[in-house]
Amino acid sequence: MTTSAPETKPAAAAEDDVPIAYMQRTRDYYLALGYGNPYRWAHFVDVPFTPLRAPLDRARVALITTAAPFQPDAGDQGPGAPYNARAKFYKVYSDSTDATPDLRISHVGYDRKHTTAEDINTYFPLQRMREAVAAGRIGALTPRFHGAPTNRSFRETEGDLDELLRRCQEDRAAAAVLVPS
Amino acid sequence: MSLAARTLEAHGIPTVIMGCAKDIVEHCGVPRFLWSDFPLGNSAGRPFDVPSQAQTLELALRLLESAPAARTTVQSGQRWSADASWKRDYNDLSKLTPEAIAQRRKEFDVVKAIAQAKRKGP
Repeated sequence: MTTSAPETKPAAAAEDDVPIAYMQRTRDYYLALGYGNPYRWAHFVDVPFTPLRAPLDRARVALITTAAPFQPDAGDQGPGAPYNARAKFYKVYSDSTDATPDLRISHVGYDRKHTTAEDINTYFPLQRMREAVAAGRIGALTPRFHGAPTNRSFRETEGDLDELLRRCQEDRAAAAVLVPS
Repeated sequence: MSLAARTLEAHGIPTVIMGCAKDIVEHCGVPRFLWSDFPLGNSAGRPFDVPSQAQTLELALRLLESAPAARTTVQSGQRWSADASWKRDYNDLSKLTPEAIAQRRKEFDVVKAIAQAKRKGP
């Protein structure tokens, strides 16, 4: 038996319905504000690649986030807070994947107009990942998730990356899901 | 985050990034990238929408399993809204008066000073 889809005309996308040019917009924005020396984003020739070795339903998976633990003394951290540099963190942190952490994203430049940051699951999918474990899709989560600082200095970032790697290795992570906020 | 993915991958841990800023992540170059064409802050799906979040994670997991090579980007089929006008608003200078720009500069100077002081630590 064969089936055929009903013939429908594909909807055309609007001309400006394209990926947002964040780098260009950010450069233009800070230049307009009067700052020189525009930020340079990391850019490499080669990209490393490691295939997944074990099936995912037998793999132990790590979760890495740029969200920050709520700090009661660091001012408004939302939901809906303006950019809050006081809420930034500068060292890799880890917490139990059995816990329900209170993580916020007021310290990063997310979309303040269209994102309310009211639902942690939009930037920190721990609950969805637990459900994937319960459903047998993922073997297990590592005992800890890890927080990566959003440093702008490459020198500092390098130390953070070593620390993040060390912790993932210590947790015997077979794979990692990384979610920037 | 892209640098973290690269570091883990180079040391034998396969990674997938779930994100919204396509140009920044691809400019860096990462092994696997699940792109949601959503406003920044919604890398893991729509707010208060469990099916959207579960589907986003599932796509990321499939990408983790099946990417044939580095720099594999998959775009989520989910749309933020029927029309794409929200994309015009991020850091949109066209709506700012010179006074508003001066005010933003003032505010950002404060934020920068806080970040610098905090970075140096007590």
